[in-house]
Amino acid sequence: MNRRQTIFRKPNSAALAWLLAGAVWFAMGTTWGLFSAAHLIAPELFDNISWLVFGRTRPVHVNTVIFGFVAPMLIGAALHYVPALLKTRLWSEPLGWLAWLAWNAAVASGFILLPLGITQGREYAEYIFPFDVCIMVALVLLIVNLVMTIATRREPLLYVSVWYVVGMAVWTAGVYPIGNVMWQPATGAMPGVLDSIFLWFYGHNLVGLLLTPLATAAAYFVVPRVTRTPLYSHTLSLVGFWILLTLYTHIGAHHLLQAPVPNWLKTLSVVDSMAMMLPVFTVLMNLWLTARGRGGRLWRDVGGRFVMFGLILYFVTCVQGPLQSLPSVQRVTHFTNWTIGHAHIAVLGFAGFIALGAMWHTLPGILGRRLFSTRLVSVQFGLLMTGVVGFFLVLSIAGLVQGTNWANGNVEYNTLPMMPPYMILRGAMGLLIVTAAWVGLYNCVKTIRRKERATELATKPVANSQ
Amino acid sequence: MKMTPAFLILGGLLIFWTSTFIAVILPAMTLGDEPSAIWRPREADEARGAQLYIDNGCSYCHSQFGRTFDWGLGRQRVAEQGDYYAMQPVILGTERWGPDLQQAGGEHPDGWHHAHFLNPRNTRPLSLMPSWEFLGEKNIEALTRYVQSNWGTLADERMARQRHWETQFVAAYESGADANVAFLHANVPPTWRAMPNPYPADEAALQRGQLIYQWYCIACHGEVGDGKGRGGLATFRGRPAIYPPPMNFTTLRRNLIEDKYIGGIFYYQIMNGITGTAMPYFKHELTSEKIWDVSNYIAVRFVGYTDAGLEPRGIEASYESAGDDGENKP
Ligand code: HEC
Ligand code: HEC
Ligand code: HEM
Ligand code: HEM
Repeated sequence: MNRRQTIFRKPNSAALAWLLAGAVWFAMGTTWGLFSAAHLIAPELFDNISWLVFGRTRPVHVNTVIFGFVAPMLIGAALHYVPALLKTRLWSEPLGWLAWLAWNAAVASGFILLPLGITQGREYAEYIFPFDVCIMVALVLLIVNLVMTIATRREPLLYVSVWYVVGMAVWTAGVYPIGNVMWQPATGAMPGVLDSIFLWFYGHNLVGLLLTPLATAAAYFVVPRVTRTPLYSHTLSLVGFWILLTLYTHIGAHHLLQAPVPNWLKTLSVVDSMAMMLPVFTVLMNLWLTARGRGGRLWRDVGGRFVMFGLILYFVTCVQGPLQSLPSVQRVTHFTNWTIGHAHIAVLGFAGFIALGAMWHTLPGILGRRLFSTRLVSVQFGLLMTGVVGFFLVLSIAGLVQGTNWANGNVEYNTLPMMPPYMILRGAMGLLIVTAAWVGLYNCVKTIRRKERATELATKPVANSQ
Repeated sequence: MKMTPAFLILGGLLIFWTSTFIAVILPAMTLGDEPSAIWRPREADEARGAQLYIDNGCSYCHSQFGRTFDWGLGRQRVAEQGDYYAMQPVILGTERWGPDLQQAGGEHPDGWHHAHFLNPRNTRPLSLMPSWEFLGEKNIEALTRYVQSNWGTLADERMARQRHWETQFVAAYESGADANVAFLHANVPPTWRAMPNPYPADEAALQRGQLIYQWYCIACHGEVGDGKGRGGLATFRGRPAIYPPPMNFTTLRRNLIEDKYIGGIFYYQIMNGITGTAMPYFKHELTSEKIWDVSNYIAVRFVGYTDAGLEPRGIEASYESAGDDGENKP
């Protein structure tokens, strides 16, 4: 009993729990992604196995990678670096654990309820009401914990990473209940087309105000530390932060450009999607100028390498994003695999890579010992890099094939026989990603369970900045 | 500028809620709520089907709104806000693996859907859609009712037409093979009846025709054209799901028009489908030459005779070689 209490009070234990959850759900979520991909190669592979049917594995995959992998891993890192940046401790470890429990209950529910067909069905908002409540409880607990940590800080200045983490929590606590229409527990939806407006306000801000700020915060933390230089500009940080919030929040209608929703909403979303390049490039410029001339240090650091690559893919995502917000582009790309390519390079390539970078970067500090194997981290990096870039290329091409055909009068059924090569390649790339996820989990668990004294078992003297 | 905690949180909330006000609260206040002309409430079994549609993630592969520039299903009419009146949730969909379903009601008779839901490869050999047999016949019927109600009152009109012709074609089928063919052909416009296939049935054309047949037709009409493909054999509630069953092409040899023509009828039936039967129209999927090629393929391989190259004929197409008439041995 006593021992258990100490686990939940041990400094950094909550952070560690969030990180580990992220690593576990990464492996599980991508495995379910592979099931979905397998269906698109051979639709009768899991014929009539209800819980493996595509319409049910896909939401398990999507929700698990977003709510299980990327978000918790980034939150775990934040629970470590926010107190560190404020020169204090997390205000309450038990509260961090409680939030962990509530949050992961929701993710776990996805593996039981969605395969049973118990879902609210709206993309990214599938978790049913009780688990929406769990997510909200977790967010509120995180807010309390963050605010109290700030209140008890010993560093007067708030570093930019802290802004983003606090922002993420208070904004998501607004986005989530609105998007899930939590005042309508039975359906979790609004009546009529308004429902789609609510849904895409939500779906868009889920990646925009939950994942993006967290990933940006982690990058702002890792890059200056690994390169051992101060951040280039405080002003650029401010500009990037406030513009991101102002613009991102109201452009969700770029998911509905061809649907029957009001034109003013579409116009607004197109214009400000273009403008999104401003905050993104401000942040990227700030980080690039910080690391300039010291890129080698980033690349040689196991965590830094992930973050660096994640930022490059952030650039790609945010060139692609505004372009595909143009109605003329969407005429071809909408409804196709092109969007799936964007989703993977964004959620996995940008936010996921930075999450992994932040994990590998903070784990040694949290545990007070070196990683089990930096070589395995490099293996994971290589697999993932190949996987995600391949995914992106394959799906973008598949999307263009579908889209140009449809624009020229061929219909969906005509493009089906063109898809197998792409779907097989995507499956192969997916296999690399899944392998990387399990390798990462293995490495993570081994690092945690590793005996303090056993450092000589490490593959090599660490090339790791810790 | 210094970021104090108060500035960060209050400033952040202020901007967030202003922006949110624009993005959702303003639309919520200004969006009207009127049903469109085609809207009608859902019956109980249709509503149950709609719920099954949500629970089983059909929405990840199907969209539910027609656009101005669509060519396939869903192009008949551009979706309006009022089409979704009172629906909750409204899942418009973000991806099209399969066709848009907003206007799917009445496109096929119920039997086509039963066979298709049991296993989509029963009617569409290349389909990527999962089999839903595990849902049970009761749920498949609910899904069918739901799909058939999509497009409101316009779907009801189509369904009435389907039922009208279904009765007639069932009666024709039950009156014997030759009477059935006679009835089918009597309903093809006369100009199409006495029309030969204008394109030669050469080896290349037959090969193309075979590919088309395998991608689009084999599931129903079967490997040897006798109508005993997997779709033709599928059963729903103990009876054949597709009824009248798919055409057995081998019975056509003795039913040629004027003892020699069949190409025009094939073209017309394939292009237009046969409303009231499971025979779908293929004018979206197949262009003109493909339809002629598959017609020649059916004729040569299953009927054992093609009218390709018979009179009346115009000037030969520029690419044809002299006397390139294919085979016709009446
Ligand atoms: C993996 C993606 C996928 C899922 C999930 C899926 N479908 Fe399909 N669906 C397709 C494809 C591809 C086609 C086109 C080929 C065909 O007709 O089978 C199609 C065709 C259809 C058609 C025929 C439209 C027509 O008139 O030709 C209907 C109706 C349909 N689906 C309904 C459903 C329903 C209801 C569900 C959920 C229970 C569902 N689909 C789930 C991919 C999917
Ligand atoms: C879903 C099942 C199904 C599919 C797929 C299908 N058919 Fe049919 N077909 C039928 C049925 C049912 C009939 C009508 C039988 C009746 O009324 O006796 C029919 C009738 C026909 C006829 C009419 C014959 C006549 O003499 O009037 C032709 C021609 C035909 N099909 C060709 C095709 C071709 C070519 C394809 C593929 C491009 C195809 N069918 C795909 C079910 C199907
Ligand atoms: C500059 C910023 C960005 C813009 C303008 C942008 C724009 C878009 C647009 C227009 C779509 C819809 C495409 C369509 O349906 O045709 C889309 C989809 C998507 N975006 Fe982005 N994007 C941006 C950045 C991001 C980031 C940073 C992430 C993730 C961290 C992300 C994740 C996604 C996802 C997951 C989808 C798929 C949604 C779905 O259809 O299910 N995007 N984006
Ligand atoms: C951690 C890494 C991953 C992340 C973050 C991720 C994220 C996502 C997201 C956000 C979507 C929804 C896209 C949309 O609706 O526009 C999606 C769909 C999908 N993902 Fe992943 N994914 C990951 C890894 C994988 C892997 C390894 C595979 C396996 C090959 C995979 C296969 C799929 C499939 C098949 C779909 C459905 C696409 C469709 O509907 O056509 N994903 N993923």
